[in-house]
Amino acid sequence: MKVYGFLKDVTGASRVTNARRKLIESGSPENLYHDHIKEVARELHPQVTRVVVTKCEDVSPTARRFTFEAVDGDVLPPFQCGQYVSLDLEINGTVTTRPYSICSAPFEAREGEHPFFQITVRNGRPETGFAANWLYANVKEGDRFDAHLPFGQFYYEPLRDSRTIVALAGGSGITPFCSMAKEIAHGTLDADLTILYGSVSTKDIILEKELNAIDCERVRFVNVISGDEPYEGEKGFLTRDLIQKYSGEDTTYFVCGPLPMYHFVKGELEALNVPPRRIRMEVFGAPRNVAEAEGYPKDFEPKTFHLTVLRGRQEDVIEASSLEPLTVALERAGIRNGSRCRSGACGYCRAKLVSGDVFIPQDGDGRRRADRQYGYVHACSTWPLSDCIIRIPIM
Amino acid sequence: MAFYKDKYDVIVIGGALAGMSCAMRLAGEGKDVLVLERHNLPGGVATSFVRGGIEMEATLHEMMSLGLREDPLYIRQYLDEMKVAIDWLRVPEAYELYSPKDGIDIELHAGRRANGTWVCADEIEAKYPGTRKEVNRLLEICRKVYESVLFLNEHKLSKLEMLLGHEELVKTAGYSAKEVLDVAFDLPEDVKKILSAYWVYVGQPISTLPFTIYAFLMADYMIGGSFVARGFSHEMAMAMQNRCEELGVQFEYRQEVEKILVRDGRVYGVRTARGDEIHADYIASAPYPNEVYGRMIEPQSEVPPQARKYANAMPMSVTNFSVVLLLDEPPEKLNIHSYSVFSSEIPFDTDVFWAEGRKLGGWSCLSTICLNLANPECTPQGMTSLSITFLPLPEAFDGVSADDYYAVKRQVAKEMIDKVSSRLGVNLLDHVVEIEIESPMTMAHYTGMYKGGIYGYQHSMDNSVVGRLEDVEREQYIRGLVSCASHQLVGDGMACNINNGKIASTMILEEMKKEAHA
Repeated sequence: MKVYGFLKDVTGASRVTNARRKLIESGSPENLYHDHIKEVARELHPQVTRVVVTKCEDVSPTARRFTFEAVDGDVLPPFQCGQYVSLDLEINGTVTTRPYSICSAPFEAREGEHPFFQITVRNGRPETGFAANWLYANVKEGDRFDAHLPFGQFYYEPLRDSRTIVALAGGSGITPFCSMAKEIAHGTLDADLTILYGSVSTKDIILEKELNAIDCERVRFVNVISGDEPYEGEKGFLTRDLIQKYSGEDTTYFVCGPLPMYHFVKGELEALNVPPRRIRMEVFGAPRNVAEAEGYPKDFEPKTFHLTVLRGRQEDVIEASSLEPLTVALERAGIRNGSRCRSGACGYCRAKLVSGDVFIPQDGDGRRRADRQYGYVHACSTWPLSDCIIRIPIM
Repeated sequence: MAFYKDKYDVIVIGGALAGMSCAMRLAGEGKDVLVLERHNLPGGVATSFVRGGIEMEATLHEMMSLGLREDPLYIRQYLDEMKVAIDWLRVPEAYELYSPKDGIDIELHAGRRANGTWVCADEIEAKYPGTRKEVNRLLEICRKVYESVLFLNEHKLSKLEMLLGHEELVKTAGYSAKEVLDVAFDLPEDVKKILSAYWVYVGQPISTLPFTIYAFLMADYMIGGSFVARGFSHEMAMAMQNRCEELGVQFEYRQEVEKILVRDGRVYGVRTARGDEIHADYIASAPYPNEVYGRMIEPQSEVPPQARKYANAMPMSVTNFSVVLLLDEPPEKLNIHSYSVFSSEIPFDTDVFWAEGRKLGGWSCLSTICLNLANPECTPQGMTSLSITFLPLPEAFDGVSADDYYAVKRQVAKEMIDKVSSRLGVNLLDHVVEIEIESPMTMAHYTGMYKGGIYGYQHSMDNSVVGRLEDVEREQYIRGLVSCASHQLVGDGMACNINNGKIASTMILEEMKKEAHA
């Protein structure tokens, strides 16, 4: 047994108190506030970036690419190929937001004299969103926007994904792969990419010139045409045989395209026994016709409800159509709620449902378990089925 | 109608655990309280996120100080008193320490028997015969210090009363954990290492960790064990947030406070990033004093030089680097059998680990948490939720820029995954379904905390909790402004922060009483 001599010491408390006072006395009386970590965090995730359109180019008969540069002293943050930007748009007096996959490469946002990012939107098709149509028709060089970036989990993650990538794209779903292809060609993304781009007709192909111009043996761009026109390349859908033909031993599949393609491709990949971790799916906006979504109450007559919106101590009553998510009702009434993914995934528009019945599609329910328990919803993916009361942040 | 009242009794900056604890207690006492939270979620780091429909804990979390329902410890008592209901799951074991270079591989369990002996003393005895008595004696001293600290949170005593009633605290207060373990206990080095493993959760090497804190933590953990919420940490945060609202607290998300308004040495309100000026005579602040005095107080001429000295002198504690993984096999297929494992690839030495935390990567001692082993329903069947954590100092990230950020964090994460893979004999990289890497920048982004510092200031010998308690009134440099987060008295941890918030509410209530009399 040892001697417990020092445990007889009863002055310890005053000793450590004095040591602490001495430490504080040694501090500088100057303002030395500086926080490198927060500065980097802000640069990585700016609240908002002011941007201006510097170029509008047609990249197919039906698609236009817009180039944005930061203005007002703002700097574009780094992003990862496949991530998206959320743009604040003022359309006919209504302020809304839209997510667009960035089709330029990450290095282009951080290098050169005029760092930029690009998005590409399609026009003139029934399934094209009204915001995309508006952008296509109205945006011109010099227009300014508030941009929020980067967002999204649809990016190549070297610690998870195989270095052999097969991209399965349809429609404007080609855009994130354009970003990936350029980054690989630039030598800053270490992967081999084969893009299988499904289109009905060669006229539907967008960014073809840009993708063909990428001169890099690690990037392969294959059009797959499903329509009747004569075409020398791959014909048909993105079937398991076609997918297999272009796959390596261990391949990660990135899927981005319209809903029907997504369902088809998912089945084909499952038939090939691709493990779930090798399949990355981009989220795609809210269903255009919610009544067709699985689980929607049968024979529910479309109706306009009263939506009571609580913000702080303020209360507003607005109209909300059962055919539109709560986010859209808020936007129509000029109430800002902020939304990013508009697919129910990111939770940026998280709101408290104080009362009322709502519909949330299962594949648009990205909520946390306790949020379901406590009645929180993601407004962009929540449709009213009765009069509702919600509480949202003051913005 | 306006969004805010012109004036509240108290404005709480930050809706994390401390802020909510403070707000809910004040509201329970009939005060009119406004909480301003910059994020759109409550809880600060005590939160979760969803990837591909699967929810994951944001980082390593264990709730201490709860105890069993039939034998509640102080946080369970407080949450019960506040009527906060959370579905707790008990974590099966205390921890496993795996340190092959020392030949140590042991799993300890919490619990004290009716006769006053400790379960872990028997577990250590089984591998290190002849140590049971000393381990029991150590834990008994820890328990007495623990009880004294809790008592002193609420009471002021004379020196004589202290000495009579709280001898163990008084007599160990001047020493580090290492000094006490080395001099006062006859234990083999390996057993001391086993009993120091939990340093990870205070982020301080035992050579400079006050025995007071060591004892508090060991007792707390070994008496009651630890818990996780069935609905992830977000359930705990939501239960508290919901209770705040039930008690009449106005709780506003997405409100970043830019300025704390001060006149004649006392606070009178805040200004938010949105531009709202809101008034109150009392403010509980989650932002660190460094940030409060450095840029938030308006005008800056109201910041006393002594306050700046304080902020500049306070040594920042560790921050967090976690790799959160969702894996495509169940735990047993990945050789994961314990909820919480501390593993060291070099001889276990907290001083060395601490020094390693000043640099980026090359970290020898990692902690892994496998949530499935406490909450089997946390993932779909056949999957594993695993996090790997090290607690570096903020300075390790001084050289990291936005441009190299993603590459750097992946490089460090890969090294950590490789180390755990080699311990498990399974390459985890072959099983990753989802991965998120959390750095101090992530902490700064989501919580706004100074330098991503979620652990407050160091619990070192020259910044001991005993000294903090003694000087708490001297350090109220601006009237009406109270610290309310891990940089406050008790320091870091979820239970500690709930306690920090409670202490902040007591300080405000006392000050209110005093001023009402004056």
